[in-house]
Amino acid sequence: MNDTSNDLSISRTIRAPRAVVWKAWTTPEHLQKWWCPKPWTTQIRGFDLRPGGSFDTLMRGPDGEESSNPGVFLEVVPQERLVFTSALVAGWRPGTPWLSMTAIILMEDEGEHTKYTARVLHKDEEDRRRHEEMGFYDGWGTCIEQLGELAAELAR
Amino acid sequence: MANSNPSLDGVFHALADPTRRAVLARLGQGPATVKELGQPFRMALPSFMKHLTVLEDSGLIATQKVGRVRTCRIKPRRLAAAEAWLVEQRTLWEERTDRMVRFVEEQHASEQHALEQHGKEQTK
Repeated sequence: MNDTSNDLSISRTIRAPRAVVWKAWTTPEHLQKWWCPKPWTTQIRGFDLRPGGSFDTLMRGPDGEESSNPGVFLEVVPQERLVFTSALVAGWRPGTPWLSMTAIILMEDEGEHTKYTARVLHKDEEDRRRHEEMGFYDGWGTCIEQLGELAAELAR
Repeated sequence: MANSNPSLDGVFHALADPTRRAVLARLGQGPATVKELGQPFRMALPSFMKHLTVLEDSGLIATQKVGRVRTCRIKPRRLAAAEAWLVEQRTLWEERTDRMVRFVEEQHASEQHALEQHGKEQTK
């Protein structure tokens, strides 16, 4: 049985037609403008928009921190559906992600607007254990620190 | 999210809003009164109180009224129970989606504006 307890579902109504949303998602110069929060920057190392094509981002923090996220597109239906995963990399080769995930991006018409949904699927126990081992699960210190940074970001 | 823990849904709902995240970040530094918490936000008190109610219902904060002053404090255990890594991913995707929406809507508005300008030039 599939465990859905670590799935995330994020929805928004966007005041723009699907074509504009699709373009913002699939044009690397656009994507890098919103992919990660400032002052972090995104370098798009691979963006081959077809099933089996590379989707590889590198995020850099202000103090030289780096987060490398190689992955692959699984499904590409223009202006409707985009699916990618970190479990595999380009050409379907198995990857070794720090966090195994699959994201399903959906775009639907809502009058003149777009209903946008991002579903992000995670594994259950294995990833959690790995995160705990990495010291990720140090209660909520990390969490509130990040929220604090977010708040500072929002106030800017 | 089928099969998911209903109390976690409440935490995620609470975290889905930038005002509420900012309130949590502030309370991470220590307890504060409703008045202090509301000051940075340009919204009416009733709207702000609704955010506090969501946070309280989710179990992320507790409030206590002494005389006419209501003080809020954070309940760290509740947030820790929500799996720090998953909360991080949730926050990452919520924020990312908000930035994308802003980008798209600005892009669309400026394209519309350019079209209108073009239309005006044509009819001149």
